[in-house]
Amino acid sequence: MENASIFVIMVSAVLVNNFVLSRFLGICPFLGVSKQVETAFGMGMAVTFVMTLSGIMTYLVDKLLLSNYGLEHLQTAAFILVIASLVQFVEIVLQKMSPTLHQALGVFLPLITTNCAVLGLSLLNIQYKFNLVQTIVHSFFAAIGFSLAIVLFAGIREKLQTSDVPKPFLGFPIALITAGLMSIAFLGFTGLV
Amino acid sequence: MKIKNFTNGLVKENPTFVQLLGMCPTLAVTTSSVNGIGMGLATTAVLVCSNMAISLIRKVIPSNVRIPAYVIVIASFVTAVGMLMEAFSPDLYDALGLFIPLIVVNCIILARAEAFASKNNIGDSMLDGLGMGLGFTMSLTILGSVREFLGNGSVFGISLLGSSYQPALIMILPPGAFLALGVLLALYNSRKMKKAN
Amino acid sequence: MKEILKPGAVLLIICVIAAFALGMVNELTADRIADQRAAKNEVAKQAVLPTAASFTDLGEDALATVVADYAPVTGVYIGVDASGATVGYVFKSTPSGFGGPVEVITGIDMEGNITGLRIGSHSETPGLGAKSVEPAFYEQFAGKSADTYVGVSKTSAEGNDIQAITGATISSSAIVSGVNASIDAYHMLVEGGNGN
Repeated sequence: MENASIFVIMVSAVLVNNFVLSRFLGICPFLGVSKQVETAFGMGMAVTFVMTLSGIMTYLVDKLLLSNYGLEHLQTAAFILVIASLVQFVEIVLQKMSPTLHQALGVFLPLITTNCAVLGLSLLNIQYKFNLVQTIVHSFFAAIGFSLAIVLFAGIREKLQTSDVPKPFLGFPIALITAGLMSIAFLGFTGLV
Repeated sequence: MKIKNFTNGLVKENPTFVQLLGMCPTLAVTTSSVNGIGMGLATTAVLVCSNMAISLIRKVIPSNVRIPAYVIVIASFVTAVGMLMEAFSPDLYDALGLFIPLIVVNCIILARAEAFASKNNIGDSMLDGLGMGLGFTMSLTILGSVREFLGNGSVFGISLLGSSYQPALIMILPPGAFLALGVLLALYNSRKMKKAN
Repeated sequence: MKEILKPGAVLLIICVIAAFALGMVNELTADRIADQRAAKNEVAKQAVLPTAASFTDLGEDALATVVADYAPVTGVYIGVDASGATVGYVFKSTPSGFGGPVEVITGIDMEGNITGLRIGSHSETPGLGAKSVEPAFYEQFAGKSADTYVGVSKTSAEGNDIQAITGATISSSAIVSGVNASIDAYHMLVEGGNGN
C-alpha cells in the first residue's frame, strides 16, 4: 500500500474496503443513527469532518512525536486523546461559528469519540505507511464510504418501516439482515483494485 | 459484593444480544470460534481491570473531566493487554489484528465505566466487569461457532461435517456476520416472546 | 481559575501514571516480542531450506539491487551448511493477494530446485485464500524446478504447475508470482544473469 496511487486509495476506501460493510468499523452509529435519511446524512457529514481532521492530526502526532522518540507503545492512548479533544474542539468552534450547523451536527459529535471508525482509520493510516497526501485522501474517502453506506442503509430502512416484517425480526434483526444483503452487494467490488 | 452483579451480564443484560453494544468486534472477528473466544477474553480482561481502576479513583476525579480520564485508563489497559498478547500468544494477536487497539472504543467498556464502576465499590465493579465480559465472550463464541460451522464445517478447528460438506463460504465472509447475528437476534427475540406469552 | 486547575492536574497525574505503567509493560514484553518474531522467521527459513545449518544475510548493497530489480522480493538470506558452503537461498517476497500483501517465503537450493515454501502474515479470506497456510497447498512447491517459472493450474498439478486453491485463484496466482520473482532473483544471484 505504500506506493498505492491516489486513485487506487480512493476506490479502495469508498467501495472495496468500505469501512462499514467490509471492515466492520463504525457499526454502532451505522445501526443506531440510520432510521432516517436526513439524520444519517448529518451523521455522515459530521463523521467526514472529524475523520479527515483526526486522520491528519494523528498522522502528525505519530510522525512528529511518537515514532521520533520511540514511543509507539503509547499510540492507542495518544490517538484516542487526540480524537477526543478534537471532537470537543470541533463542537466548541461550531457552536461559536455556525449555530445552525451545530444544531444539525451537534447531537452526533459526542457519539463520534467512541466511533471505532475514527480510531481505526488513524491506526490503519500508520499501518499502511501512508505519506501525508495519501493519509488525507484515505481519511476523506474512507469517511465518504461510511457516509455512502449509512445513507443508503437509512434509505432502505425508511422503506422497511412500512413493510410487513415477521415479529421476531422487528428492529435490529431485520436491520442486520439488510446490512448483510448490502454487504453482499459490496462484495462484488472486491478484486477491483 | 452481590452475586447478582455478576450474573446480570451473562443473560439478562447480555451486552451483545440485549444491549447491542460492541457490535464492531462482534461482527469483525467472529470468523471462527477461537477468534471469538480470544476477542471476548481480551475484552473481559480490559473490562475487569478498567472497572476496578475506575471504581478505585472515582472519588478523586472531577465530574467534568471524567470521560477523558476513563478513556486514558481504558486505553492504557488495552495497550497493556495488546502487548502481553503479542508476547505470549502471537498467532491470536495476528488474527485479531486491528481490533485489539480498537477495544478502547468498544462501547461496552465506557458504558460500564460510566453506568456502573463510577458509582459502585471495587468488588461489585469487578464482578460487573467479569459478568459483562463473560457474557460478551459467550455471545462472540456462539456467533463464531455458528459461522465457522456453516462456513467451514468445523467448530474450534475440529471438522464436524467431513470433507463431503460443501461449506457456505458466505458465512465467513463479511455479509455472513450480519446475517448470522441478525438471525441469532431474531431467535433470541422469538424465545423471549414465547416466554412472555 | 481553580475549577480549571484541579481537573487539569488530576488528568495530568492520570496521564503520567498511565504513560509510566505502559512504559514498564513495554520494557517487560519488548524482548519477548522481538524473540518471538525472530524465532518465527528462523523456523520458516529452516522449513523451506532444510539442508542449511544456518543463515546469513545478503550484503546490504546486493540486497538493495535485488529489492529494486525483483519486486516483490523484499528479503534474501543465504543458507550455509556446517562447513560454511552455500547450499541455497531463502527469499522473502510480498506479492499482493486478494486482501492485501501476502508474505511468501521460498527456499531454492544450488541445484536449482525449490526446496520449500511457507506463507507468513497475510490477510486473505478465511476459508479461501487463507488455505494457503495449509500443508496441502504449500507442499506442492517443494521439488518444483526453478529453471522455469512455476505455473498455476485450476485442475491438476502437472509438470511445473501447482494446483490453485479452489475458489482462490487470485491468492494462488499472487503467491506464485512471488515465487517466480524469487526464481528470477535466484538466477541473478547464482549466474549473474536472468535465467529466463
